[in-house]
Amino acid sequence: MDDYLQIKNVSLSYHTKDKEVLALDGINFSVKKNEYLSIVGPSGCGKTTILSLIAGLLKPSTGEVLLENEPIKNKNLIGYMFQRDHLFEWRTIYKNVILGLELNKKTKDKESLERVDDLLKKYGLYEFKNSYPYQLSGGMRQRAALIRTLALQPKILLLDEPFSALDYQTKLSVCDDVHQIITNEKQTVIAVTHDISEAISMSDRIVVLSNRPSKVKYIQDINLQDIKTPLKRRESTLFPKYFDVIWKELSNEKKEEVK
Amino acid sequence: MKKKRKLNNYSIEHKKYLKKIKIDKTTTKIAQIVIFVAIVCLWELLTATKILDPFFLSSPSRIFSTLVETFKNGNMLYHIGVTLYETIVGFALATFIGTFIAILLWWSNKLRDILDPYIVVLNALPKIALGPVIIIWVGAGTSAIITMCILICIVITTLSMLSAFLSCDKDKIALMQSMGAKKIQILFKLIIPNSFAEFVSVLKINVGMSWVGTIMGEYLVSKAGLGYLIVYGGQVFKLDLVMASTVVLCFLACLMYILVGILERKVRRH
Repeated sequence: MDDYLQIKNVSLSYHTKDKEVLALDGINFSVKKNEYLSIVGPSGCGKTTILSLIAGLLKPSTGEVLLENEPIKNKNLIGYMFQRDHLFEWRTIYKNVILGLELNKKTKDKESLERVDDLLKKYGLYEFKNSYPYQLSGGMRQRAALIRTLALQPKILLLDEPFSALDYQTKLSVCDDVHQIITNEKQTVIAVTHDISEAISMSDRIVVLSNRPSKVKYIQDINLQDIKTPLKRRESTLFPKYFDVIWKELSNEKKEEVK
Repeated sequence: MKKKRKLNNYSIEHKKYLKKIKIDKTTTKIAQIVIFVAIVCLWELLTATKILDPFFLSSPSRIFSTLVETFKNGNMLYHIGVTLYETIVGFALATFIGTFIAILLWWSNKLRDILDPYIVVLNALPKIALGPVIIIWVGAGTSAIITMCILICIVITTLSMLSAFLSCDKDKIALMQSMGAKKIQILFKLIIPNSFAEFVSVLKINVGMSWVGTIMGEYLVSKAGLGYLIVYGGQVFKLDLVMASTVVLCFLACLMYILVGILERKVRRH
């Protein structure tokens, strides 16, 4: 139970014609079941690379990623959400949402389809199932993208700065939306972000990465689970304290960068 | 009724704004028509008064009577049929084969790298230079004309489609991969539909290019067709026939362009 997903001593090098760049240098951390874990770090430190490794889009140079103590063979165990919703403009919302099922030839699987209908109804998109993405607001699009990912019933959900393309107002309400869906559906989440406030308000734990070559520098537990919505969490007296700690960890990194 | 009531609800300022747009649009249309009418009238006037020689320049009235005559005896329809057939077959084949090659090049990076210099040379080469070779290889006839048409359209089709395929958002591809998509699924469910806008613009370019190809082919080898009429008319100094054929050509090219536009709107709605 304790270590649902394990990142074990993972390193990764990029190869270009002129040089070899060590991006990740022995990353170690683990995620508990139903946990929301955020990764923050200086820009260009390879946060997204970690997600790609977990998703199986990249292979680590050394080390391994284990889900329930086993290497991940099936990509569908991992759901991946990107910075933008990447809904396909030529498909209706429904067709977008069942894309994953279609790719895995599950469109005749009643149980999966009912699940999709259920999710659409629960999160207010059912009436829009025959609309096209351009007819929806940014928040609705993001919800549709999340349902598309959840349709395949992933064990781990990866979020790559999923709110960074939204304006601030929308972002706050979409954060609440997404957090509610994730809690309802009991998802285990690893999110990457550069927004410290967002990380604190959404997460159970925050991993701070160092500059490249990245290592895990610091891990902070966040004890705000009693407060239900991310927006309310921002009002907690603990919130600025967490902010301070993480800010200091990150700005130390930035100074080292200047040297 | 409903529309009228809605209009009454607009503020005076908005009504003024709408009126201005309408006037703007109308004056543009009027100017376009005036230019056309002026050219035709001037042309007719100058040739009728023999200030310019109608033997070299023809004239609107002579073009018109040539058109009536050739349409009446069926000659023009026959030549239009021949050219239209060659153009449409060339257009369709070039678009199809060109897109297919683009798919192959998208599929294999290695193939793309290997063929790169050949494509660059083929693109730079004036295809008309291949005329004699084509005639010898496929024979002097319709097939030579269609081949010329294909040659002219195909390189630009392949290059445009390939660049559209390659410009697909990397994150969209990663999204497909993260859901376990195979390469063939990425091609058919993402790359091809994602390139639809580019495909339509290729169709529009090819409408123009296929006419160039066909007429050029007809200049080289034909026994019939609008290109043949133009060459023949030029050789026997029948400028009326040359001009009449050119007018028909303009009209047909426009028509084909409009058809592609309609197709675009129809498909885009879905």
